[in-house]
Amino acid sequence: MNPTPCDYIAENMGELFDCSPLGGYTRIRTPYLYPDGDVIDLFLSQIDGGSSTLTDLGETLGWLRTQTVSERKTDRQRHLIEDVCLTHGVELYRGMLMLRVKNLDDMAEAISRLSQAALRVSDLWFTFRNQAAASINDEVEEFLADREIGFERGERLVGRSGRTWRVDFHTRTTEKSALINVLSTGSRPSARRLAEHTLATWHDLSNLRLGPESLRFVSLFDDELNIWAPEDFMLVEDVSEIAYWSRKDEFVELLTS
Amino acid sequence: MKYKLLLSRADYTCRISLLFNGSMNQGEYEALMSDTTKRIDRHINWTEDEDHSPAVSFLVEVLSDPAYPLYAKGYLNRAAHKLTYVLIHRAEGRIYSLDLGKDHRNPDGALIGEKHKHRWSEQTGVKEAYVPEDITAAMHHPADVWEQFCAEANLIHDGNMNSPPSEQLDMML
Repeated sequence: MNPTPCDYIAENMGELFDCSPLGGYTRIRTPYLYPDGDVIDLFLSQIDGGSSTLTDLGETLGWLRTQTVSERKTDRQRHLIEDVCLTHGVELYRGMLMLRVKNLDDMAEAISRLSQAALRVSDLWFTFRNQAAASINDEVEEFLADREIGFERGERLVGRSGRTWRVDFHTRTTEKSALINVLSTGSRPSARRLAEHTLATWHDLSNLRLGPESLRFVSLFDDELNIWAPEDFMLVEDVSEIAYWSRKDEFVELLTS
Repeated sequence: MKYKLLLSRADYTCRISLLFNGSMNQGEYEALMSDTTKRIDRHINWTEDEDHSPAVSFLVEVLSDPAYPLYAKGYLNRAAHKLTYVLIHRAEGRIYSLDLGKDHRNPDGALIGEKHKHRWSEQTGVKEAYVPEDITAAMHHPADVWEQFCAEANLIHDGNMNSPPSEQLDMML
């Protein structure tokens, strides 16, 4: 009688790995943990013509999704995931980390590779916005740098009233310079206050829109969450140009045309 | 009277910092969790994610009188036999969650089991979990689990949870 994957794991990989049938798969419970302490499980599809698939069934990216309100990965996160997959020889297919196992003797190496990939992908949690290391302004900064648009971040400018205002970005291209305020928040009440603050900023700095070297004012809305009301856009549309973080090409066009 | 006024100010300061600063303390967390005005006023629909993975999920805003920036998220992976419900604070990230079908190891090394709940704490974030005795429904009945999850989280759902779409995993592997 041929050994099953569970037989192989019991004989060759010690007691750290727990193996059991689950649905149409063999579930391999690893000793590795996601950053919150949840255990990483891998799944082996039935051997079919000498080859089977070892996968996380999308659990790693699923774990990441449940840590944040974001429904989309950033370009940087996608790039990091691709880099992890390349390093460990793992394929990302429909949100699942997976690799082919040709025979049982390859099992230990395959489990090790896929576990490592799951660990490293789950560490993308540290790049999320609600972590101290990252914010949407970091994403915007990275995006501007990638597009080779010169910028200064957090510049302080004095308005007509004498008050000093801090704008998120001051960009400069061959065609035009722009001031950008990023509007990003998680609640509707603070969304309105943010729009009002931006209106006040642009109004008080309106002298900078005059003259041959006038600056373009851009209100960049983080529309990842559907929390903005039409009135929020109306507040700033007369004093600035509106851009949306979900439409990055249009944002670039605004800065470079 | 003076004592009452001080308490009121402390409560106000606590709520303001939770709404805007994003660095929560234990008292603020407990106040948020015990707030009974937390509510969801819409039906919940499970949808595919951006990768079209085997899992389905939902994201809904949680309304409350103090206007906490709070969201509820569900994640169901029937192929992997896992179900997760989460409360996410916009600034803090995940602060409360229930997992069915996945094991968990606490920082002290203890394995908690396939049914566990995470509660945020100042010391360990959501790394510590415990077995919730109040959750008795099975992973295959996500609406029943949701009802029990809402009850302990003091969350009112004024709507229905629709059934998840059918599973289409066979063609994926």
